Amino acid sequence: MSGDNSNPISPTGRSSFNQERTRVAAGDDALMDGVRSKDQAAMAEIFDRYAGLVYSISLRVLNDQGYAEDVMQQIFFEVWERPQSFVPGRGSLAGWLSVVARNRAIDHLRRGKPSDSIDEVVLPAQSNLSVEAERRLMMEKVRTRLELLPKDQQESLELAFFEGLSHSEIAAQTGIPLGTIKTRIRSALHLLREAVQA
Amino acid sequence: MTDSIHISLEDLTLYAMQALSSAERVPIRLHLAECEICRAELAAVSGDLALMAMSAEQHALPEGARDRFLTRIGAAATPANKIVEIDAYPAGPKPQTRRVQSWIPWTAAAALLVIAAGLGSLLYRTRLDLQHETALTSAQTDESRRAREVLEVLTSRDAQRVVLTAGTPHPVPTARAIYLASRGALVLQANNLAPIEAGKTYELWIIPANGSAPIPAGLFRPDAAGSASVVMPQIPVGVQAKAFGVTIENAAGSSAPTLPIVLVGAVPSAGE
Ligand SMILES: [Zn+2]
Repeated sequence: MSGDNSNPISPTGRSSFNQERTRVAAGDDALMDGVRSKDQAAMAEIFDRYAGLVYSISLRVLNDQGYAEDVMQQIFFEVWERPQSFVPGRGSLAGWLSVVARNRAIDHLRRGKPSDSIDEVVLPAQSNLSVEAERRLMMEKVRTRLELLPKDQQESLELAFFEGLSHSEIAAQTGIPLGTIKTRIRSALHLLREAVQA
Repeated sequence: MTDSIHISLEDLTLYAMQALSSAERVPIRLHLAECEICRAELAAVSGDLALMAMSAEQHALPEGARDRFLTRIGAAATPANKIVEIDAYPAGPKPQTRRVQSWIPWTAAAALLVIAAGLGSLLYRTRLDLQHETALTSAQTDESRRAREVLEVLTSRDAQRVVLTAGTPHPVPTARAIYLASRGALVLQANNLAPIEAGKTYELWIIPANGSAPIPAGLFRPDAAGSASVVMPQIPVGVQAKAFGVTIENAAGSSAPTLPIVLVGAVPSAGE
């Protein structure tokens, strides 16, 4: 038993704790800096934070675990290879990855119809979606608002967003006029934005 | 400029959703290239789409997904990646990768994990420590020394092994600490931890047997699967521990534990 328990933390101990704190507090921007300098641990941390989110979105679109994982793997691999695709300050990494995940999954669904490369997705600066608790709260609001939409409006939005149907395909499938579909989708999304900002 | 020459919100939305034909896309693309107002609007619409995307029901990753990713980016120290995956996704169907609820395999698993840390593939913390340890020895030597030390702790007959559990029986967060007082060496692996809110962290404490104040032994946050580890925090050597505890603190950590203690485990008495 050592006799120095009156001062249990050695100076080296303190500095180590501070470093630990640096790691815990590392924001997405710091991690992406790490990725840009090819730090695999930083990339692993990004993966741990968002792979589940990206996978879940792809799975919602593709309804197939294997394909959904392929899309997810490819997106994170591209982040690793081309981290400059994501421009910090242009919006949250979580939001960007979410839109890219949806778009890539839709591309996969429509095989052969290429779309924008991932770097074209630009998001507004917004609240901190990197914090899981905040994200969850926000999603609660979004889901609640979605459920409140009239059924046919909800359906138009989901068909366009998760099924990747074009507005003309939705019109053909539902018998609703093109213009109405456009308006419904637009206003539904706007209601979601309001629900989150409320 | 009047509104009529900008792109309607409806069309911008469909454009962002890739729901327009390529013929329909071209004029929009051309306009966007020149119009800052519409670019800003498009960004706002993309923000709405991010919300919509994130509303998808969340699922756990398929077994092995993390391993496959790390291998792909070349962080391949294979055994360690396997272990991390086992910790994060315990429910897999394959018996040979299922997490075994006994001490020996866990110890072996932790040892492998720690070896990988020595190789610099996984544990950020090790790396950070090294960055700050100025050139007494080369980083290389230091890392392998550290790995060796950790391995010795994990395999030492003298090490105390403690299971920490929550007071309630149900969602069963657990943590296992392996502690070797004579070396001031400690490894903790936690599973099924509840997610932690922004600005907070879990903090591990050594509760000394002599009744002196709890000693902070590292901060950690669970990953999406609820797993976390603390490996070799710098703690004083020779402190006999009565117990280990985990509390929730502000993100910067605390020098004294804030109640309640969310996980606690007593050190078994000598001979156990
Ligand atoms: Zn315009």
